[in-house]
Amino acid sequence: MKRRDFIQYATAGVMTPVAFGGYSANAYGQSALLNSLASVANVNDRVLVLIQLNGGNDGLNMVIPLDQMSVYNNIRANIAIQESKVARLTNTLVTGLHPAMTGVRDLFNEGKVSIVHSVSYPSASQSHFRASDIWFTGASSNQTLTTGWLGRYLDTEFPGYPEKYPSTDMPDPLAVQISYITSTALLGPEQSMAIALQNPDTFATLVGDKVSIDPTITANTAAGRSISYIRQQQVTSVQYAGQIKAAAAKGKNMVAYPTGNSLADQLKIVARLIHGGMRTKVYYVSIGGFDTHATQTDATDTSIGAHANLLKQVSEGIKSFMDDLKLMGIDKRVAGMTFSEFGRRAGSNSARGTDHGQAAPLFVFAGEGIKTQFVGKNPNLSDLDNNTIKMQTDFRSVYSALLTDWLGETTSLSTSVLNKSYDPAPMFRQTVAATEDPFVTFRMYPNPAVDEVRIESELFGPGGIQSLRVVDMAGRQVSVPVERFNNSSYRMSVRGLPIGNYIVAVEANERKLTNRLIVNR
Amino acid sequence: MAWLNPYSQPLTAVQAAHLLRRATLGPTLAQVKQFTGLKPDAALKLLLADKPAPPPPVDVATMKTFVGLPFNLDLQGQHANYLKNWWLGLMINEDTSAREKLTIFWQNHFVSTYATVSDARYLYRQLDLIRQHSAGNFRQFVIDMTKDPAMLRYLNGNQNVANKPNENYGRELQELFMIGLGGNYTEDDVKAATRVLTGWADTGFRVTTSADITVAFRANQHDTADKKFSAAYGNYTVKGKTGATAGDEELADMVDMILRQPETARFIVRKLYRFYVATEITPDIETNFIEPLAKVYRDNKYELKPVLTALFSSDHFYDENQRGAIIRSPLELMIGSMRHFGIKAPESGTAPFNQLGDYIRARAREQQMDVFEQSTVFGYRPYYDTGLDRIWISANTLALRSLFTDQLTRGSIKYNNITYGPDSVEVVKALSMPNDPDKLVEELTNQLFAVPLLKSQRDFLIDQVLLPGLPRYEWELEWNDYVKNPNVARKMSVKIKLDNLFIFMFRMAEFQMS
Repeated sequence: MKRRDFIQYATAGVMTPVAFGGYSANAYGQSALLNSLASVANVNDRVLVLIQLNGGNDGLNMVIPLDQMSVYNNIRANIAIQESKVARLTNTLVTGLHPAMTGVRDLFNEGKVSIVHSVSYPSASQSHFRASDIWFTGASSNQTLTTGWLGRYLDTEFPGYPEKYPSTDMPDPLAVQISYITSTALLGPEQSMAIALQNPDTFATLVGDKVSIDPTITANTAAGRSISYIRQQQVTSVQYAGQIKAAAAKGKNMVAYPTGNSLADQLKIVARLIHGGMRTKVYYVSIGGFDTHATQTDATDTSIGAHANLLKQVSEGIKSFMDDLKLMGIDKRVAGMTFSEFGRRAGSNSARGTDHGQAAPLFVFAGEGIKTQFVGKNPNLSDLDNNTIKMQTDFRSVYSALLTDWLGETTSLSTSVLNKSYDPAPMFRQTVAATEDPFVTFRMYPNPAVDEVRIESELFGPGGIQSLRVVDMAGRQVSVPVERFNNSSYRMSVRGLPIGNYIVAVEANERKLTNRLIVNR
Repeated sequence: MAWLNPYSQPLTAVQAAHLLRRATLGPTLAQVKQFTGLKPDAALKLLLADKPAPPPPVDVATMKTFVGLPFNLDLQGQHANYLKNWWLGLMINEDTSAREKLTIFWQNHFVSTYATVSDARYLYRQLDLIRQHSAGNFRQFVIDMTKDPAMLRYLNGNQNVANKPNENYGRELQELFMIGLGGNYTEDDVKAATRVLTGWADTGFRVTTSADITVAFRANQHDTADKKFSAAYGNYTVKGKTGATAGDEELADMVDMILRQPETARFIVRKLYRFYVATEITPDIETNFIEPLAKVYRDNKYELKPVLTALFSSDHFYDENQRGAIIRSPLELMIGSMRHFGIKAPESGTAPFNQLGDYIRARAREQQMDVFEQSTVFGYRPYYDTGLDRIWISANTLALRSLFTDQLTRGSIKYNNITYGPDSVEVVKALSMPNDPDKLVEELTNQLFAVPLLKSQRDFLIDQVLLPGLPRYEWELEWNDYVKNPNVARKMSVKIKLDNLFIFMFRMAEFQMS
């Protein structure tokens, strides 16, 4: 345990997303720390699920910048999602999701998803090969690495793999990929740190249950090295076969997953294996088809078509998976991340498609522990780099957060795995602006309110309100419908709120503003 | 230059087997015998001899081809399967030639898939083009492929028009098809190449009323401005042209520009090296083999035969350490095993032929080599991704490889009452001393494996696999008994033991090597 950080950021607890009058940021920071200490014992249970979207996902049709719809409609007229169809998120008026992603929307509204905007790395590659390698290995664009970032993490955490495993402490595969072959991301110094399996029920039958390989030493030639490698694969797979079979038999899915959805099929297996008691740290699943150079949307209805179908699979897959884990009572142990080798161009081409781009948003989701639901802001579509979206967050900052804030590893381990120190992206941390001015606020009337409240201020600036949250006196966030008239004027319905005192916190024009609201009838 | 020196001795049996395992889809024992004693240049003449195009695939119902007919939506899925099976049949039944393996190489280089193109006639046409050019001139190959209807569809070249560029083909032409990322071309070069390529389109796609499939250059959709390339191409400008020949002229100009870069020949030669010789390219190999072989390619104006001849006749290729250095692809493993035992596919296009083809495709698909259906334009992962040929191997795929060889041995690949698998007893009967287990295992493993087994391994095969718990002389008694009075029961008693031996040998790591 000594290698681990004792201070955990990603913990449960009712945390308000912004500090407001009367409560200092420090006080919240303190309670977060106390809260986290209580859950350290569970750190070892945590699981990470990677979801690869192969081909370069069009992030701009997945996470839609509602604050820039005119530019958005202009640069991708033939594939732009209609504003009226966008799936809306609570607490924000400026960002929405693709209409097919209602599952992720619901998880987001439950506070279980963080949208990390514009993830990439300096001098991004637009080659599928190179960009995938960079994401898999965690390399910089001018650097080549031959091991995967997860492979290095697992190699550090479980030294001596595969010779010393399975062990009493780690009887299960370190990582499992639901596939026939494993990803470069899981490649350790000698071999893959993962077991590839397609069907946990038949895996043991397929690989056999006893090792029947003669242990002859092989020559140090290309052939000899590959032969040793293949033998090791045989031995390892046979050794794990029993554990996998047992977990598959014990684990039971508790929700119906969508059919005809390859990603859901894979996640269903992952849920079953976790439920079955596997202590595997990393699961890896993938879905292809995102290289949408042409006809990514339907000709007449841009909300349907090839890309919509892919996003629907992703969204429904993740939603079913998290629902399943929740019913199993283990969702708090599981976090996941989606990623793709690059985003696509901001502007579409004439074939209703998009060419290779750079930065794109990704999702981090977890049964508990998500504290910052937006990392970064909508990309500025009026400030593009050669028609591609500029980077805001380095992908290795996301990796760093998963390693430290989620998996509980030390900063030094993260630095060593990622070859450099990257500040963790704050999905699992409170983000409190240091420059808040408690005296500047906005007009809110009537107050006390009965059914509706007007919210107005010139301070909102040209971008209007970026996010709005209502918090009750117990610190619980409550959901309210908000309607926008223009950048400086909004109407909020409080019909659904019980009588009481609330804090309304808005984020606008790079400031956080709060006000007290009384609901009385 | 020493590594590329021609090896001019007559081939030993081991060397002949090495050459045939690498250059073809796998030899029979008779072919190894035929090539033993030949000098490499004579062997290469045989392997690279031009051959007429094979007759096209046919519809099982009519036994007539569908490739010259209008599109038929109802039968489309079947036609795609016939096409894929037809290609597998050519691989299985091919005589001693390098052609079908080269066709696999180039189809995985210029990837198009049925899943995306969705017109089997288009893919037939492309495969035919690949086969024609498979040992030919790379310049003409690239030019023809750029205008190939299936490729225009697969990489959206048909949607690339002036002022509304689609960069898909312009990028992959450089990254995957010609020069690679080592060419250091820029994003602006991708844009410039894309503009050069504007205006091409296919006609006849999925047309049910006419069988014509053509390619047209639409001059009015072509970007006629000059296209300036970066320092990676010596700041060359492809002059903008107008009129009906503009597309061809600019395409040729650009292809020549790319071919002038030394990296282009290296890029292709490295890929050939990984496919045919060994997957690891050390700095030594780069300097002493890749570079001079790339020069052969350039000096011969990108003709492939001189390159293949130099490669397969080199000292380096016959270095003992190259034997068994490559992990066999699923098709090499399965089709190579069938060919080793002289198993032929039935008449192309018949029902049992397609049953066999469907079976092999299903096995190849689960072993991650879905025929004509690479999941991305890069081709099968083991030919480019980190880990290279080791990517073929996982707990899963190893088990699936064994599943195939188990079924092959047990005789469960059976259609229309014909079994497609070796009769282990007949195979052993053809050995020089089948009654001596030591000789039997030694000879058999020398034939089957690219790398020789150690004595301890052969002992293991005899004492733990062939005759577990029995003294070795029991084999001679049983075998002689069977040979003297062959009946079903006696045959079964030796066959069960031999099948166990075969199954085990096929499951050994050594069997995965080429």
